[in-house]
Amino acid sequence: ATEWNVSVWGKRRAFTEHVEKLAELVSEKTNGEFTMNVSYGGLSKNRENLDGISIGAFEMAQFCAGYHADKNRVVTVLELPFLGVENLEQERAVSNAVYAHPAAAEEMAQWNAKLLMTSPMPQYNIVGTGEPRTTLEDMKGMRVRATGGLGKAFEAVGAVPTSVTATEAYQAMESGVVDTVAFAQHAHLSFGTINQADWWTANLNPGTVNCPVVVNIDAYESLSDAEREALDSSVEESLDHYLANYGELLKRWDAVLEEKGVEKVEIAPEVLEEFRATAAAPARDAWIADMEAQGLPGQELYDLVVKTLADAKAGN
Amino acid sequence: MAGSAAVLEDSSLLSKLDRILLPIERFCALLSGLAIFSLMFLAAYSVTSRKFFGAPMMGYVDYIEAAMPIIAIMGVSYVQRDGTHIRMDMLVSALKGRTLWFFELISVLMILILIVALTYGAWEHFDRSFDCARLLCSRDSSIDVGIPIWPSKLVVPVAFAVLVLRLLLQAWGYGRALILGLENPVAVPLNLTIAEQAMIEAKALEGLTDGTD
Amino acid sequence: MEPIEIGLWVSGGMLVFVVLGMRVAFAAAMAGFVGLVWLRWNGFDYDPDRFWKAVEISVKIAGLTPHSKVSAQVLSLIPVFIMIGYLAYYAKLTTALFEACKRWFAWVPGGLAVSTVFATAGFAAVSGASVATAAVFARIAIPEMLKIGYNKQFAAGVVAAGGTLASLIPPSAILVIYAIIVEQDVGKLLLAGFIPGVFSAIVYASMIIGIAMMWKNVGPPVTGFTWRERFESLPPASPIVLVVVVIIFFVYNPFGDAWGTPTEGGAVGAFIVFLMALYRGMRWGQLKEALLDTAKLTVMIFTIIWGVLIYVRFLGFAELPAAFADWITSLEMAPILILICILLAYAVLGMFMDAIGMLLLTLPVVYPAVMALNGGETVAAADSAFGMSGQMCAIWFGILVVKMAEFCLITPPIGLNCFVVAGVRDDLTVQDVFKGVTPFFIADAVTIALLVAFPGIVLWLPSLAG
Ligand code: NA
Ligand code: NA
Repeated sequence: ATEWNVSVWGKRRAFTEHVEKLAELVSEKTNGEFTMNVSYGGLSKNRENLDGISIGAFEMAQFCAGYHADKNRVVTVLELPFLGVENLEQERAVSNAVYAHPAAAEEMAQWNAKLLMTSPMPQYNIVGTGEPRTTLEDMKGMRVRATGGLGKAFEAVGAVPTSVTATEAYQAMESGVVDTVAFAQHAHLSFGTINQADWWTANLNPGTVNCPVVVNIDAYESLSDAEREALDSSVEESLDHYLANYGELLKRWDAVLEEKGVEKVEIAPEVLEEFRATAAAPARDAWIADMEAQGLPGQELYDLVVKTLADAKAGN
Repeated sequence: MAGSAAVLEDSSLLSKLDRILLPIERFCALLSGLAIFSLMFLAAYSVTSRKFFGAPMMGYVDYIEAAMPIIAIMGVSYVQRDGTHIRMDMLVSALKGRTLWFFELISVLMILILIVALTYGAWEHFDRSFDCARLLCSRDSSIDVGIPIWPSKLVVPVAFAVLVLRLLLQAWGYGRALILGLENPVAVPLNLTIAEQAMIEAKALEGLTDGTD
Repeated sequence: MEPIEIGLWVSGGMLVFVVLGMRVAFAAAMAGFVGLVWLRWNGFDYDPDRFWKAVEISVKIAGLTPHSKVSAQVLSLIPVFIMIGYLAYYAKLTTALFEACKRWFAWVPGGLAVSTVFATAGFAAVSGASVATAAVFARIAIPEMLKIGYNKQFAAGVVAAGGTLASLIPPSAILVIYAIIVEQDVGKLLLAGFIPGVFSAIVYASMIIGIAMMWKNVGPPVTGFTWRERFESLPPASPIVLVVVVIIFFVYNPFGDAWGTPTEGGAVGAFIVFLMALYRGMRWGQLKEALLDTAKLTVMIFTIIWGVLIYVRFLGFAELPAAFADWITSLEMAPILILICILLAYAVLGMFMDAIGMLLLTLPVVYPAVMALNGGETVAAADSAFGMSGQMCAIWFGILVVKMAEFCLITPPIGLNCFVVAGVRDDLTVQDVFKGVTPFFIADAVTIALLVAFPGIVLWLPSLAG
């Protein structure tokens, strides 16, 4: 029998449903010969999940690219602001494309990790307290919990990214460490930031965070053929389950806002345009230049994302 | 608690080495203290710039996190030197002479093995974040302002390495006391009764307040 | 072997080493390390060829823990709180405080003892450490009490007990540590300690007044201070009030948004005390000593933190906390009785152990069990066993165990505060202090019973903060 330890964090939520589903499917397909023990924070701090995989402390883990860009430069392309991803299916498609790129695989191999699947998330809109911040002027000096490329986007318009971990976000908002928190809907729910909030931006859509699930290469290779087959064949099914589950959550979202008394704020198109102009192109150019300087195919990766996204949109 | 026990000195080689190591440990502990002091200014500055100038400090959390290992770990050997790390000394305080040195020696040797292992583990943790083929040698960066994390990770194996030296000296000290059957060995914290310890603590406070008069 | 069995063996082994006198931090770290190796090798079916592989993985897990665990912004509270206490000596806040309390409160029966209790409570607001508080006031308050004919055992008892207030009234290093271990909001816990701390002080004071009215020679009132003298005593002690107000407003502002985080509040408070100390003549030499002392206490506490967290990491792999929680909830006993048994167990353990070590070693297992007993982390007040939400239960239990830990500072045989007081005063034996502090056991037992029976005393303030 093979038993894998899986390190995730927080508590069970929409964001971890594919991992739970994967564990369930793999166990079913192998008649309980191959089981996964999903631990929420018991095995590692989330920012050290890649270290844990590298050491062999556990066999599978989830992490987010923006926590530590230097550990995973390649996948941070998926966190660039205003890529224009419209839904979870498109997010899944662009992530798959980047994960399949040799540069991504090679960088993860340095951590003895293999990219297994993504955790597709909708656009990270912000919640805040007090008066809604609807202009770029309002965002100057705003302390926003936003990691990675999102943080850079807000920085470009004069806000100050202040990253507490997801588990501390509620506390940070309550105590005034941050004014606003950028999260996907499920996280606003499960980390309680929606309970603190007075308003939520419905259409800011600045981008999202990319959080891969990886496996330890040695552990993966030492699986029996049947076990590996069970694992590989369950990935797409787990993601389908994740998307369906997340879809339900998004359908409930407006009701949640109403129940919690949170105002749904629409940002004016000209403000959005201004935000995009200030944040998107400079962040992209800086990222590409930075990657190319480090010998990584920055332009190629960016083009791959753009092309995959266009294909996904055309296919819909 | 934080009362310091007595460490005797004489002209032996062991005691000399003890006194060579002490200033290094004191320096490390002072680094901890200065880092705490700077933390006060950093937080006060961050609050002021946010409250009164509407300009929160960029990377405040990153800098604090980077400083924490210096604050928390750098002085670890200084604290071991005079036996300030707390323990339950109900049993030990009832022991005397060779039995006592035997217990102390075993205890120090086990800590030594542990810390050697942790030094290696902490070094590996540093090493995973350090790659000089890259910009600023960085293979792990902070979340908001992207500063390299390896310097902060390097603090731990360095502090532990100093602690290894200290533990070697203490093992030597207790071993010597065990073999020679010494009553008051040098270079090891002498096991005080709680009452004696309280006395020293109170004296330290007295010195503290008198010093400002 | 089942991981849980390994968990039990290793935990038992750790306790043996702690009793044998190994430094608590290293005993815990070693238990964690050995446990990780054992668990991993067990997973390899004790294959001799893979023993070193098991060791290597465990060394790396254990080795990354110190850096990983101390690199948290919230932990920066602890050194700042400790530094405030050390700087307060140089700012001469202690004597000023005692003088002010004396002029304002000493006219009641048992007046000087009551003043001492309020002065220790006030000093608690700038000090995170109980033992330091007891040592300082043994020097300031006991001589004055003896001068006007107090029973010397009683005078010593007042100081030993008053010192314990420092860990409930914020700032409190031990409450921060609790908050971190159980991953709860530090600010709310600090707030929660405020009323029970003041409440304890009032219970102490009422008991002293009662005793003084019954036995006239215990503590005569001290009268004759003019209003002018009273008001003149306030300015030198006022920085303490300022620090308290600043810290409270950073955590919870009744008139609007909190000013910031507890760490920032602590830092601004420290800055005020620092300026005060400079004004009162502190120079580089003394500052250096204060910084070294701060560093020493800080490092000592952090060593326990990362040491115990290596052990906790092992527990996570062994799944022991979950198993213990399952066991506790399966008991056929009223939850409140189980809770009382847990508190009594702490009273016994605390007779022999240091407060911080005791909490750090036990909480990783006991806390999940208590939360499960109440109905889980996310339970609503209406569905819970103790009539409070999961978050409130965490706060309530935290204040209860910290109060237990403080209680243990004055109980024989190892009531550290009593040893400290006896150590400062040549004319007092430890037995004297233990005798004098006995009435305060009753006061503390009453306080704890009231905190258990009326959780509102603890939870009112944090519930205001949302
Ligand atoms: Na206090
Ligand atoms: Na005790």
